Amino acid sequence: MMSRRSSKKGFHVDESDLMCKNGCGFYGNPGWQGYCSKCWRDYQKAKQVQPKTEQIASNRSKRLSQMGSGETAPSFSKFEERKKQQSEKRKNTVKSIFNRSSKESSPSNTPPKKDPVAKRVSVESQQVGGEFAEFLKKLRKTTALDISKQVRAFIEKIQVFADSPVEELSEMVQDFYQIITDRINTLPVYKGMDQNTIDTLMDFIEKYILTRIYRIVFCPVTTTDEEDDLAIQNRIRSLHWITREQIDCKIYENDAESSQLLETAITDIIQMDSKRAPQDKLASIVQCCNHIFELLRKSTDGPASADDFLPALIYVVLKANPPLLQSNIQYITRFANPTRLMSGEAGYFFTNLCCVVSFIQNISAESLDLTQKDFDKYMSGEAVPHTSHNAYMCDGLRLMYQNLSTLTELRQRHEKLMAEALQLQQDMVEFKDSFKNEIDTVLERNPWTLRPRKSKADIDAENSDTELLPSPLKPEVLHPVGQ
Amino acid sequence: MGASRVDMKVVLLGKEYGGKTSLVERYLHDRFAGDTPYQNVRNYNATIGAAFGAKKVDIGDKVLTLGVWDTAGSERYEAMSRIYYRGAKAAIVCYDLTDRTSFERARFWVNELMKNEEGCKIYLCGTKKDLVISDKRTREVDYHMTTDYAEEIHAEVHETSSKTGENIFELFTKIAKDFASNPENIKKERDKDKETLDLYEDNKKKFGCCG
Repeated sequence: MMSRRSSKKGFHVDESDLMCKNGCGFYGNPGWQGYCSKCWRDYQKAKQVQPKTEQIASNRSKRLSQMGSGETAPSFSKFEERKKQQSEKRKNTVKSIFNRSSKESSPSNTPPKKDPVAKRVSVESQQVGGEFAEFLKKLRKTTALDISKQVRAFIEKIQVFADSPVEELSEMVQDFYQIITDRINTLPVYKGMDQNTIDTLMDFIEKYILTRIYRIVFCPVTTTDEEDDLAIQNRIRSLHWITREQIDCKIYENDAESSQLLETAITDIIQMDSKRAPQDKLASIVQCCNHIFELLRKSTDGPASADDFLPALIYVVLKANPPLLQSNIQYITRFANPTRLMSGEAGYFFTNLCCVVSFIQNISAESLDLTQKDFDKYMSGEAVPHTSHNAYMCDGLRLMYQNLSTLTELRQRHEKLMAEALQLQQDMVEFKDSFKNEIDTVLERNPWTLRPRKSKADIDAENSDTELLPSPLKPEVLHPVGQ
Repeated sequence: MGASRVDMKVVLLGKEYGGKTSLVERYLHDRFAGDTPYQNVRNYNATIGAAFGAKKVDIGDKVLTLGVWDTAGSERYEAMSRIYYRGAKAAIVCYDLTDRTSFERARFWVNELMKNEEGCKIYLCGTKKDLVISDKRTREVDYHMTTDYAEEIHAEVHETSSKTGENIFELFTKIAKDFASNPENIKKERDKDKETLDLYEDNKKKFGCCG
């Protein structure tokens, strides 16, 4: 590796060219007009700090006056807290976690800057950083070095500009994707990488950068994202009465497997918010959509089309009411690599999700085939559509209803059993009585008569009758033979 | 290096249940849902939905990935169709040859596209041609009327049958070829490359003036 690095070099820059323009002894960077990060920051601060702070101050006071109106007070304190957290986070400008590359190159490279405050990198960043470093190990050392340098510099730059409007940040991130792509295509350090490796590399860069700067760029205070989140959440809540039939949704949950799938799809879309990198958020959307397709396959003939899919996704989003929906969509739109959103499955499903949000925002009596009067009634909670008895229920509720019906059935059986037992008892009593009666009647009909016992005649016994009999014949000797 | 791979977004518009799904099924998987019992379709169905599909097409030295996006055709979702076709390079506007109203709907989408998405080339696509061939009386959309209309809007007409596969592959091949032959698509790529080089040289100069 090392020998290859030193021998095969078509591109050489003298070390002095790399130093900071200010001559402070640190390395400069073309992205910062040749300054090192510190000098560049000072330079930028001197140049921009004035208008920037003014802008932010005015922004804040505007918001303050908006929020001042009584009932939004709690959300304001939340907002303040977050703002504080963000600025604190920013103070601890974290250097790089590419410990591997910085350690190896430290003798000749930038001396490690001592951060007075303990480094605080979120768990997610550490994890992604570790994976990224693992991946970089597989690349050529020079390639890995260049990448880690670029990425590190970029993250520092974003942290410097953290208070800029989100559009500028978005542009910076998008530009950075382009710059890296261009570097990969033109610089000799990157020669010989196959398309797959490049894709994975770009993937990692996107994931790592956005995980690191997530707090700065997700739902930034300079936008109305938070208000939009609340608006859509309340909107979905007020639309709780919408039934499958009203939006032509063809998914049913008549068996355990289907309701399980629906449950999973809902969980998937809710989980989107817990992911940091755009591709992970998109992966949640894709998973959710795939579960919906599986559900649709059970209830429609042949492959499901967009005509079946969109209503089903609307239904799932309505039932899920995913947290921070608008913020997540805005974040993906602003910071994901644009090729992701224009092509591929993820792009398609994301577009569908955007459609769903737009539909929910603009839902009207007409789009549900209802009269305006009914629609208003349902929206105000005065009435509920009569078909809503088969509406979606969460697992617990469904289980409860199941148990209730089982209990009712058990009670009925128990009552039946009791009744039958009583009946049996009754029957037994009756049987006994009737049996007795019958015996009595029979007895009445045939009264008892005591007859003298018939005894055996004893011929030899002495009794009066025998006296009447002639005396027994006695043997008589007529002629003695011997005389 | 990266330029060898080009993505193209093709969006399908048309009245609901007007044959869009069958069209995608035939093109992507070369099958027709009515051909085989549903059970069979399900068994070898690797991709579970027909709403989105991608297919690689070789055009000269490049590999073009056609991403086919199906859209919901119901009037209920009309307002959102713009979100779908944003950035599409080609749109297949489908109408059912046996349903006059479906062509009226097709006109609607053509107007929408021309108003909002200039870079999107329009292909009119009549579906269910097999029905019209087996019984001429079922045809409700006149061929010459459609070609006249197509001329007016600078589009072209393809009458297809997803059941027999007639004209389906021809249609998509034509779309890919048109895209590749459009100098604008290629010019953009070149411009990008040039820009890159310039940028790099700029950087170098800046390197030079340091220290």
